[in-house]
Amino acid sequence: MIPAQFDYARANTLDEALNLLAQNEDAKILAGGHSLIPAMKLRLMQPPLLIDIGRIKDLSYIDEADGQIRIGAMTTHYQIESSDLLKRMCPLLPECASHIGDMQVRNKGTIGGSLAHSDPAADWPAAALALNAELVAVSKDGERTIKADDFFVDLLTTALNPGEILREIRINKNGSSQAYVKMPHPASGFAIVGVAANLIMNGSNECTSARIGITGVAAKAYRATGVENAMAGSQLNEAAIATAAKHVSDNTDINGDLFASADYRRHLAAVYTRRAIQTAASRV
Amino acid sequence: MKISGTHEIQASRERVYAALIDPQILQRCIPGCESLEETSEHVYIATMKAGIGPVKGTFKGNVHLNDMQPPEHYRMTVEGKGGPGFVKGTGNFNLAETDSSTVVHYEGDMQVGGVIASVGQRMIEAAAKMLAAQFFKALESEIKS
Repeated sequence: MIPAQFDYARANTLDEALNLLAQNEDAKILAGGHSLIPAMKLRLMQPPLLIDIGRIKDLSYIDEADGQIRIGAMTTHYQIESSDLLKRMCPLLPECASHIGDMQVRNKGTIGGSLAHSDPAADWPAAALALNAELVAVSKDGERTIKADDFFVDLLTTALNPGEILREIRINKNGSSQAYVKMPHPASGFAIVGVAANLIMNGSNECTSARIGITGVAAKAYRATGVENAMAGSQLNEAAIATAAKHVSDNTDINGDLFASADYRRHLAAVYTRRAIQTAASRV
Repeated sequence: MKISGTHEIQASRERVYAALIDPQILQRCIPGCESLEETSEHVYIATMKAGIGPVKGTFKGNVHLNDMQPPEHYRMTVEGKGGPGFVKGTGNFNLAETDSSTVVHYEGDMQVGGVIASVGQRMIEAAAKMLAAQFFKALESEIKS
Protein backbone atom coordinates (compact mmCIF):
# COMPACT_ATOMS: atom_id res chain seq x y z
CA MET A 1 0.00 0.00 0.00
CA ILE A 2 1.25 3.45 -0.90
CA PRO A 3 0.42 6.50 1.18
CA ALA A 4 -1.11 9.65 -0.26
CA GLN A 5 1.37 12.36 -1.16
CA PHE A 6 2.84 14.26 1.77
CA ASP A 7 5.69 16.61 2.57
CA TYR A 8 8.45 15.67 4.95
CA ALA A 9 10.50 17.89 7.21
CA ARG A 10 13.20 16.67 9.54
CA ALA A 11 13.49 18.77 12.65
CA ASN A 12 16.93 19.01 14.22
CA THR A 13 15.71 20.64 17.39
CA LEU A 14 12.48 20.66 19.35
CA ASP A 15 12.08 24.41 18.69
CA GLU A 16 12.30 23.80 14.97
CA ALA A 17 9.61 21.12 15.25
CA LEU A 18 7.35 23.42 17.31
CA ASN A 19 7.72 26.20 14.73
CA LEU A 20 6.84 23.88 11.88
CA LEU A 21 3.87 22.52 13.81
CA ALA A 22 2.62 26.03 14.59
CA GLN A 23 2.69 26.88 10.88
CA ASN A 24 0.94 23.70 9.74
CA GLU A 25 -2.17 22.87 11.70
CA ASP A 26 -2.75 19.52 9.97
CA ALA A 27 0.84 18.33 10.17
CA LYS A 28 1.59 15.16 12.11
CA ILE A 29 4.60 14.54 14.30
CA LEU A 30 6.58 11.50 13.19
CA ALA A 31 8.37 9.63 15.97
CA GLY A 32 9.23 5.97 15.40
CA GLY A 33 6.49 5.71 12.76
CA HIS A 34 5.11 2.36 13.88
CA SER A 35 1.52 3.53 14.26
CA LEU A 36 1.40 6.55 11.96
CA ILE A 37 3.07 5.08 8.86
CA PRO A 38 0.88 1.93 8.68
CA ALA A 39 -2.23 4.13 9.03
CA MET A 40 -0.95 6.40 6.25
CA LYS A 41 -0.22 3.46 3.97
CA LEU A 42 -3.83 2.40 4.34
CA ARG A 43 -4.82 6.04 3.75
CA LEU A 44 -6.69 6.16 7.01
CA MET A 45 -4.54 9.18 7.73
CA GLN A 46 -3.47 11.65 5.06
CA PRO A 47 -1.49 14.40 6.75
CA PRO A 48 -0.08 16.99 4.33
CA LEU A 49 3.18 17.22 6.26
CA LEU A 50 5.21 14.95 8.53
CA ILE A 51 7.53 16.60 11.02
CA ASP A 52 10.16 14.04 11.94
CA ILE A 53 11.38 14.43 15.52
CA GLY A 54 12.76 10.90 15.69
CA ARG A 55 16.34 12.06 15.15
CA ILE A 56 16.44 14.76 17.80
CA LYS A 57 19.12 13.33 20.07
CA ASP A 58 18.08 15.46 23.06
CA LEU A 59 14.78 13.60 23.23
CA SER A 60 16.25 10.16 23.75
CA TYR A 61 17.49 9.52 27.29
CA ILE A 62 16.77 7.72 30.53
CA ASP A 63 18.06 9.39 33.66
CA GLU A 64 17.33 10.17 37.26
CA ALA A 65 17.04 13.54 38.96
CA ASP A 66 15.39 14.82 42.14
CA GLY A 67 13.96 11.42 43.05
CA GLN A 68 12.33 11.12 39.64
CA ILE A 69 13.02 8.94 36.66
CA ARG A 70 12.95 10.95 33.44
CA ILE A 71 12.56 9.40 30.04
CA GLY A 72 12.82 11.34 26.79
CA ALA A 73 9.82 10.92 24.51
CA MET A 74 11.95 9.57 21.65
CA THR A 75 13.44 6.77 23.75
CA THR A 76 12.74 3.50 21.96
CA HIS A 77 10.95 0.56 23.54
CA TYR A 78 14.19 -1.41 23.29
CA GLN A 79 16.23 1.24 25.11
CA ILE A 80 13.74 1.00 27.96
CA GLU A 81 13.64 -2.80 27.87
CA SER A 82 17.43 -2.97 28.17
CA SER A 83 17.99 -0.15 30.66
CA ASP A 84 19.83 -1.28 33.80
CA LEU A 85 18.74 1.86 35.61
CA LEU A 86 15.08 1.07 34.97
CA LYS A 87 15.43 -2.62 35.78
CA ARG A 88 16.71 -1.52 39.17
CA MET A 89 14.42 1.39 39.89
CA CYS A 90 11.24 0.83 37.93
CA PRO A 91 11.09 -2.75 36.63
CA LEU A 92 7.54 -2.31 35.34
CA LEU A 93 8.83 -0.24 32.43
CA PRO A 94 11.36 -2.74 31.02
CA GLU A 95 8.85 -5.55 31.60
CA CYS A 96 6.14 -3.64 29.76
CA ALA A 97 8.52 -2.77 26.90
CA SER A 98 9.42 -6.43 26.44
CA HIS A 99 5.78 -7.19 25.60
CA ILE A 100 5.48 -4.65 22.77
CA GLY A 101 5.23 -5.93 19.19
CA ASP A 102 8.37 -7.66 17.99
CA MET A 103 12.09 -6.85 18.00
CA GLN A 104 11.84 -4.63 14.93
CA VAL A 105 8.99 -2.61 16.42
CA ARG A 106 10.82 -2.25 19.73
CA ASN A 107 13.93 -0.96 17.99
CA LYS A 108 12.06 1.80 16.16
CA GLY A 109 8.92 2.58 18.13
CA THR A 110 9.13 5.15 20.92
CA ILE A 111 7.41 5.54 24.28
CA GLY A 112 6.38 9.11 23.46
CA GLY A 113 4.96 8.18 20.07
CA SER A 114 2.92 5.37 21.57
CA LEU A 115 1.54 7.49 24.43
CA ALA A 116 0.64 10.37 22.12
CA HIS A 117 -1.13 8.00 19.71
CA SER A 118 -3.11 6.45 22.58
CA ASP A 119 -4.09 3.24 20.85
CA PRO A 120 -6.71 1.56 23.06
CA ALA A 121 -4.65 -1.64 23.09
CA ALA A 122 -1.16 -0.17 23.45
CA ASP A 123 0.90 -1.29 26.43
CA TRP A 124 2.44 1.99 27.66
CA PRO A 125 -0.78 3.73 28.71
CA ALA A 126 -1.48 1.01 31.32
CA ALA A 127 2.04 1.37 32.73
CA ALA A 128 1.85 5.19 32.74
CA LEU A 129 -1.41 5.05 34.72
CA ALA A 130 -0.17 2.46 37.21
CA LEU A 131 3.04 4.42 37.83
CA ASN A 132 1.23 7.77 38.21
CA ALA A 133 3.48 9.15 35.47
CA GLU A 134 3.66 12.82 34.60
CA LEU A 135 3.82 13.73 30.96
CA VAL A 136 5.59 16.90 29.97
CA ALA A 137 4.19 18.65 26.90
CA VAL A 138 5.79 21.62 25.18
CA SER A 139 4.37 24.17 22.80
CA LYS A 140 5.48 27.60 21.64
CA ASP A 141 3.73 29.00 24.69
CA GLY A 142 5.84 26.99 27.11
CA GLU A 143 5.69 23.75 28.98
CA ARG A 144 3.07 22.00 31.08
CA THR A 145 2.86 18.76 32.99
CA ILE A 146 -0.12 16.45 32.52
CA LYS A 147 -0.91 13.64 34.95
CA ALA A 148 -1.34 10.27 33.27
CA ASP A 149 -4.82 10.16 34.87
CA ASP A 150 -5.80 13.20 32.78
CA PHE A 151 -3.84 12.38 29.64
CA PHE A 152 -5.92 9.64 28.03
CA VAL A 153 -9.17 11.29 26.99
CA ASP A 154 -10.86 8.84 24.62
CA LEU A 155 -10.21 6.51 21.72
CA LEU A 156 -6.98 7.73 20.02
CA THR A 157 -7.48 11.03 21.78
CA THR A 158 -5.19 12.58 24.39
CA ALA A 159 -5.07 15.82 26.37
CA LEU A 160 -2.34 17.14 24.06
CA ASN A 161 -3.44 20.35 22.34
CA PRO A 162 -2.79 21.14 18.70
CA GLY A 163 0.71 22.59 18.57
CA GLU A 164 1.92 20.57 21.56
CA ILE A 165 4.57 17.88 21.51
CA LEU A 166 5.13 15.30 24.24
CA ARG A 167 8.70 15.83 25.46
CA GLU A 168 9.29 13.76 28.56
CA ILE A 169 7.81 11.10 30.84
CA ARG A 170 8.48 11.47 34.58
CA ILE A 171 7.96 8.84 37.24
CA ASN A 172 8.45 9.20 40.98
CA LYS A 173 10.56 6.49 42.59
CA ASN A 174 8.74 4.83 45.45
CA GLY A 175 10.11 1.34 46.00
CA SER A 176 6.87 -0.35 45.01
CA SER A 177 6.20 -3.90 43.82
CA GLN A 178 5.36 -3.97 40.14
CA ALA A 179 4.27 -6.27 37.34
CA TYR A 180 2.89 -6.14 33.82
CA VAL A 181 1.04 -9.13 32.41
CA LYS A 182 -0.65 -9.35 29.05
CA MET A 183 -2.60 -11.54 26.72
CA PRO A 184 -1.43 -10.46 23.26
CA HIS A 185 -3.44 -10.82 20.09
CA PRO A 186 -1.72 -13.70 18.31
CA ALA A 187 -1.35 -11.79 15.03
CA SER A 188 -0.87 -8.14 15.92
CA GLY A 189 0.73 -8.48 19.33
CA PHE A 190 -1.56 -5.76 20.65
CA ALA A 191 -3.07 -6.34 24.08
CA ILE A 192 -6.40 -8.10 24.23
CA VAL A 193 -5.91 -7.46 27.90
CA GLY A 194 -2.88 -5.84 29.51
CA VAL A 195 -2.61 -5.15 33.24
CA ALA A 196 0.01 -3.06 35.01
CA ALA A 197 0.06 -3.44 38.80
CA ASN A 198 1.97 -1.15 41.13
CA LEU A 199 1.64 -2.02 44.82
CA ILE A 200 2.97 -0.33 47.92
CA MET A 201 3.31 -3.02 50.59
CA ASN A 202 4.27 -2.98 54.23
CA GLY A 203 6.37 -5.62 55.98
CA SER A 204 3.46 -7.84 57.03
CA ASN A 205 2.23 -8.77 53.54
CA GLU A 206 -0.38 -6.05 53.59
CA CYS A 207 -1.05 -3.80 50.64
CA THR A 208 -0.95 -0.13 51.72
CA SER A 209 -2.07 1.19 48.36
CA ALA A 210 -2.35 -0.01 44.79
CA ARG A 211 -2.52 1.48 41.32
CA ILE A 212 -3.79 -0.76 38.56
CA GLY A 213 -3.70 0.27 34.87
CA ILE A 214 -5.74 -1.66 32.31
CA THR A 215 -5.37 -1.58 28.54
CA GLY A 216 -6.97 -3.39 25.60
CA VAL A 217 -10.49 -3.75 26.95
CA ALA A 218 -12.08 -0.29 26.67
CA ALA A 219 -11.90 2.75 24.36
CA LYS A 220 -8.87 3.93 26.30
CA ALA A 221 -6.58 2.67 29.03
CA TYR A 222 -8.02 3.27 32.49
CA ARG A 223 -7.33 2.83 36.18
CA ALA A 224 -9.24 0.02 37.85
CA THR A 225 -10.19 2.08 40.90
CA GLY A 226 -12.59 -0.61 42.13
CA VAL A 227 -9.67 -3.04 42.39
CA GLU A 228 -7.41 -0.41 43.94
CA ASN A 229 -9.93 0.38 46.68
CA ALA A 230 -10.50 -3.30 47.44
CA MET A 231 -6.75 -3.85 47.69
CA ALA A 232 -5.87 -0.89 49.89
CA GLY A 233 -5.26 -2.07 53.46
CA SER A 234 -5.97 -5.69 52.67
CA GLN A 235 -3.83 -8.76 53.24
CA LEU A 236 -2.35 -10.09 50.03
CA ASN A 237 -3.65 -13.63 50.13
CA GLU A 238 -5.08 -15.52 47.19
CA ALA A 239 -8.71 -15.06 48.15
CA ALA A 240 -8.41 -11.31 48.75
CA ILE A 241 -6.63 -10.78 45.44
CA ALA A 242 -9.21 -12.82 43.51
CA THR A 243 -12.06 -10.89 45.12
CA ALA A 244 -10.44 -7.53 44.40
CA ALA A 245 -9.67 -8.45 40.78
CA LYS A 246 -13.37 -9.01 40.08
CA HIS A 247 -13.87 -5.22 40.32
CA VAL A 248 -11.73 -4.62 37.23
CA SER A 249 -14.65 -3.81 34.94
CA ASP A 250 -16.71 -1.81 37.48
CA ASN A 251 -18.26 1.23 35.80
CA THR A 252 -16.39 0.51 32.58
CA ASP A 253 -17.78 0.07 29.10
CA ILE A 254 -15.96 -3.01 27.78
CA ASN A 255 -15.51 -3.35 24.01
CA GLY A 256 -15.83 -6.48 21.96
CA ASP A 257 -14.54 -7.31 18.51
CA LEU A 258 -14.49 -10.33 16.20
CA PHE A 259 -11.65 -11.88 18.16
CA ALA A 260 -12.90 -11.41 21.72
CA SER A 261 -16.42 -10.52 22.80
CA ALA A 262 -17.04 -8.01 25.57
CA ASP A 263 -17.97 -10.79 28.02
CA TYR A 264 -14.82 -12.75 27.22
CA ARG A 265 -12.70 -9.61 27.64
CA ARG A 266 -14.35 -8.87 30.99
CA HIS A 267 -13.51 -12.37 32.16
CA LEU A 268 -9.92 -12.11 30.89
CA ALA A 269 -9.47 -8.73 32.54
CA ALA A 270 -10.30 -10.21 35.96
CA VAL A 271 -8.00 -13.19 35.40
CA TYR A 272 -5.07 -11.06 34.24
CA THR A 273 -5.61 -8.52 37.02
CA ARG A 274 -5.38 -11.32 39.57
CA ARG A 275 -2.18 -12.57 37.95
CA ALA A 276 -0.65 -9.09 37.78
CA ILE A 277 -1.30 -8.46 41.48
CA GLN A 278 -0.02 -11.91 42.49
CA THR A 279 3.14 -11.43 40.43
CA ALA A 280 3.75 -7.94 41.80
CA ALA A 281 3.17 -9.13 45.36
CA SER A 282 5.71 -11.92 44.92
CA ARG A 283 8.36 -9.34 44.03
CA VAL A 284 8.69 -7.57 47.36
CA MET B 1 -21.72 -5.96 14.65
CA LYS B 2 -24.40 -5.24 17.20
CA ILE B 3 -24.37 -1.89 18.84
CA SER B 4 -26.63 -0.55 21.53
CA GLY B 5 -26.76 2.19 24.09
CA THR B 6 -28.92 4.39 26.26
CA HIS B 7 -28.87 8.14 26.70
CA GLU B 8 -30.98 10.25 29.00
CA ILE B 9 -32.06 13.72 27.94
CA GLN B 10 -33.75 16.26 30.23
CA ALA B 11 -36.74 17.08 28.04
CA SER B 12 -40.17 15.75 27.21
CA ARG B 13 -40.51 12.76 24.92
CA GLU B 14 -42.32 14.77 22.25
CA ARG B 15 -39.52 17.33 22.22
CA VAL B 16 -36.79 14.69 21.92
CA TYR B 17 -38.63 12.78 19.21
CA ALA B 18 -39.16 15.92 17.18
CA ALA B 19 -35.46 16.80 17.45
CA LEU B 20 -34.36 13.31 16.47
CA ILE B 21 -36.17 13.53 13.13
CA ASP B 22 -35.49 17.21 12.39
CA PRO B 23 -32.93 17.34 9.56
CA GLN B 24 -31.56 20.72 10.59
CA ILE B 25 -30.99 19.67 14.16
CA LEU B 26 -29.54 16.34 13.03
CA GLN B 27 -27.08 18.07 10.74
CA ARG B 28 -25.81 20.16 13.63
CA CYS B 29 -25.58 17.19 16.00
CA ILE B 30 -24.20 14.36 13.88
CA PRO B 31 -20.41 14.50 14.40
CA GLY B 32 -18.75 15.81 11.25
CA CYS B 33 -21.99 16.09 9.25
CA GLU B 34 -21.37 18.45 6.36
CA SER B 35 -24.72 18.20 4.63
CA LEU B 36 -28.04 16.47 5.12
CA GLU B 37 -30.59 16.88 2.34
CA GLU B 38 -34.12 15.56 2.41
CA THR B 39 -34.85 13.95 -0.96
CA SER B 40 -38.32 12.70 -0.08
CA GLU B 41 -40.21 12.37 3.17
CA HIS B 42 -37.87 10.88 5.81
CA VAL B 43 -35.23 10.00 3.20
CA TYR B 44 -31.96 11.90 3.33
CA ILE B 45 -28.62 12.09 1.58
CA ALA B 46 -25.83 12.85 4.02
CA THR B 47 -22.17 13.75 3.79
CA MET B 48 -20.16 13.17 6.91
CA LYS B 49 -16.54 13.80 7.69
CA ALA B 50 -16.05 11.40 10.56
CA GLY B 51 -12.91 11.56 12.60
CA ILE B 52 -11.65 9.55 15.53
CA GLY B 53 -8.56 11.32 16.77
CA PRO B 54 -6.23 11.55 13.81
CA VAL B 55 -8.11 9.05 11.62
CA LYS B 56 -10.47 10.90 9.31
CA GLY B 57 -12.63 9.85 6.41
CA THR B 58 -15.45 11.33 4.34
CA PHE B 59 -18.58 9.24 4.01
CA LYS B 60 -21.55 9.76 1.74
CA GLY B 61 -24.75 7.88 2.20
CA ASN B 62 -28.50 7.50 2.45
CA VAL B 63 -30.47 7.67 5.64
CA HIS B 64 -34.02 6.38 5.68
CA LEU B 65 -36.34 6.78 8.66
CA ASN B 66 -39.29 4.41 8.80
CA ASP B 67 -41.73 2.64 11.08
CA MET B 68 -42.48 6.03 12.62
CA GLN B 69 -44.51 5.79 15.83
CA PRO B 70 -44.25 9.23 17.44
CA PRO B 71 -43.21 9.83 20.12
CA GLU B 72 -41.90 6.43 21.08
CA HIS B 73 -40.27 4.62 18.21
CA TYR B 74 -38.69 4.80 14.78
CA ARG B 75 -36.28 2.77 12.72
CA MET B 76 -33.29 4.13 10.83
CA THR B 77 -31.63 2.47 7.87
CA VAL B 78 -28.21 3.75 6.84
CA GLU B 79 -26.11 2.93 3.84
CA GLY B 80 -22.91 4.82 3.23
CA LYS B 81 -19.48 4.57 1.77
CA GLY B 82 -16.30 6.54 1.73
CA GLY B 83 -12.54 6.35 1.30
CA PRO B 84 -11.86 4.05 4.23
CA GLY B 85 -14.76 1.64 3.71
CA PHE B 86 -18.50 1.19 3.79
CA VAL B 87 -21.17 1.09 6.47
CA LYS B 88 -24.59 -0.51 6.29
CA GLY B 89 -27.02 -0.92 9.10
CA THR B 90 -30.41 -0.70 10.73
CA GLY B 91 -31.15 0.72 14.12
CA ASN B 92 -34.23 0.87 16.31
CA PHE B 93 -34.76 3.92 18.48
CA ASN B 94 -37.10 3.65 21.45
CA LEU B 95 -37.99 6.59 23.65
CA ALA B 96 -39.22 6.06 27.19
CA GLU B 97 -40.56 8.74 29.49
CA THR B 98 -39.48 9.27 33.08
CA ASP B 99 -40.63 12.00 35.49
CA SER B 100 -38.48 14.77 34.09
CA SER B 101 -36.57 13.26 31.23
CA THR B 102 -36.59 10.99 28.22
CA VAL B 103 -34.49 7.86 27.92
CA VAL B 104 -33.47 7.05 24.37
CA HIS B 105 -32.49 3.46 23.81
CA TYR B 106 -30.96 2.47 20.49
CA GLU B 107 -30.11 -0.95 19.25
CA GLY B 108 -28.72 -1.72 15.86
CA ASP B 109 -26.93 -4.13 13.63
CA MET B 110 -24.14 -2.71 11.54
CA GLN B 111 -22.00 -4.07 8.79
CA VAL B 112 -18.69 -2.38 8.23
CA GLY B 113 -16.41 -3.30 5.35
CA GLY B 114 -13.32 -2.18 3.48
CA VAL B 115 -10.00 -1.02 4.90
CA ILE B 116 -11.60 0.39 8.02
CA ALA B 117 -13.04 -3.01 8.88
CA SER B 118 -9.95 -5.06 8.12
CA VAL B 119 -7.48 -2.93 10.04
CA GLY B 120 -9.73 -1.04 12.40
CA GLN B 121 -11.90 -3.96 13.47
CA ARG B 122 -10.75 -3.89 17.07
CA MET B 123 -11.66 -0.21 17.34
CA ILE B 124 -14.96 -0.03 15.47
CA GLU B 125 -17.18 -0.68 18.44
CA ALA B 126 -15.37 1.89 20.58
CA ALA B 127 -15.48 4.37 17.68
CA ALA B 128 -19.23 3.87 17.16
CA LYS B 129 -19.91 4.39 20.87
CA MET B 130 -17.76 7.51 20.91
CA LEU B 131 -19.61 9.04 17.94
CA ALA B 132 -22.98 8.13 19.48
CA ALA B 133 -21.99 9.81 22.76
CA GLN B 134 -20.92 12.95 20.87
CA PHE B 135 -24.20 12.96 18.97
CA PHE B 136 -26.40 12.69 22.06
CA LYS B 137 -24.37 15.30 23.91
CA ALA B 138 -24.84 17.74 21.04
CA LEU B 139 -28.53 16.82 20.80
CA GLU B 140 -29.03 17.51 24.48
CA SER B 141 -27.49 20.98 24.31
CA GLU B 142 -29.48 21.66 21.13
CA ILE B 143 -32.74 20.76 22.90
CA LYS B 144 -31.85 22.84 25.95
CA SER B 145 -31.14 25.99 23.96
